[in-house]
Amino acid sequence: MKEMAASPNIQRLYDDHAPALFGFLLNLLRNEADTRDAMQEVFVKLARRPALLEGARDERGFLLRLGHNLAIDLIRRRGARERNYEQLARESPALFAESANPDEQIFREKLAEALGELPADQRAVLHLKLWEKLTFDAIAQTLDIPPNTAASRYRYGLDKLRERLRPIYDEIK
Amino acid sequence: MNSDFENQLQRRPLRELPRQWRSEILAAARPASGPRPLAFVSRLSSWLWPYPRAWAGLAAAWVVIFVLHFTAPDEPRLAGNSSSMTIQSFATLQQQTLMMAQLLGQTDNAEPPAALPAAPKPRSERPMQQMIG
Repeated sequence: MKEMAASPNIQRLYDDHAPALFGFLLNLLRNEADTRDAMQEVFVKLARRPALLEGARDERGFLLRLGHNLAIDLIRRRGARERNYEQLARESPALFAESANPDEQIFREKLAEALGELPADQRAVLHLKLWEKLTFDAIAQTLDIPPNTAASRYRYGLDKLRERLRPIYDEIK
Repeated sequence: MNSDFENQLQRRPLRELPRQWRSEILAAARPASGPRPLAFVSRLSSWLWPYPRAWAGLAAAWVVIFVLHFTAPDEPRLAGNSSSMTIQSFATLQQQTLMMAQLLGQTDNAEPPAALPAAPKPRSERPMQQMIG
C-alpha cells in the first residue's frame, strides 16, 4: 500500500520554518538526535491537530514556541535520566556553518562552546534575538515570559559571551 | 541599537538543516487516523520518566505481593483440615467416653455424648421464635 504523504500545509510549514526551528532547537538541546526528535514531534503535533495553527497570528513564532516547550520537556526528561545534562550542553555540536578560514572556524567553535555554558533560558533568548532577530516583545511571547525578563536574560547572556570570547574576538576583529 | 559585538555574532551563519530529515519528518507527520503504538509508547515513557524511582518501587511492591501470594499456604485447605480434625477428635472423645463407661460397668446408663453442635445458621434462617424470645 502506498504510504500517505504529509498534508501540503505541513510540507509548506516545514519548508518555511524548519531551518529556523532546527537552529533554535539545536542551540537549546545541544544534541542532534534530540533536536530531530523535537522537530518531528512539532510537525507530528501539527499534522494531528491542524486547528492548533488557526489562532496563531505568527506561524514562525508559534512553531518556535511549540518547539521551545517540547525542548524544555525533553531537557527535564533527560535531566531525570542523565544528571550530566550540563556536561552535554558543553559538548557543543556543530552549531554554525563551517568556515574555510581557520581563525573564523575557531571563533565559531568557541562561540558554540560559550553558548553551551549559558543556562538554557539565556541561550534561548540570545538565539531568538541574534539569529531570529525577534524583538523582546516577540521573544517574551514565544517563551511565555515578561518582556523585561527577556531583556535582562539577554543582557546577562551577552555579557557572559563577551567576557568569554573577549580574547579571541579582539584577535579576529 | 546593536553593539559591534552583537553584529559580529549575528553575522555567523547557523548550520544548515540536514536534507534527509525532510522526508523522514514529513513521513512521520502524515495524517494519522488514530494514535500509533509508537506514539503511545513514547507518550507513556514521557509520562513515566519524571518519577522512575516511584514506578520502580510500585513495580517491586507488586512483585513482592505476587511472590507472597504464591508462596503462602492455601487458606481453604487449612480450614478444611481444621474442620476434619475437629470431627476426628470428637469421634475419639466419644470412643473414649464409651470405653470409660464400659470399664466402669455403666454401659446401660452411659449417655451418648451430645451431638456435634451444628454451625450457627445465617441470621435470616434462624427461627422466628428465637428472634422474638
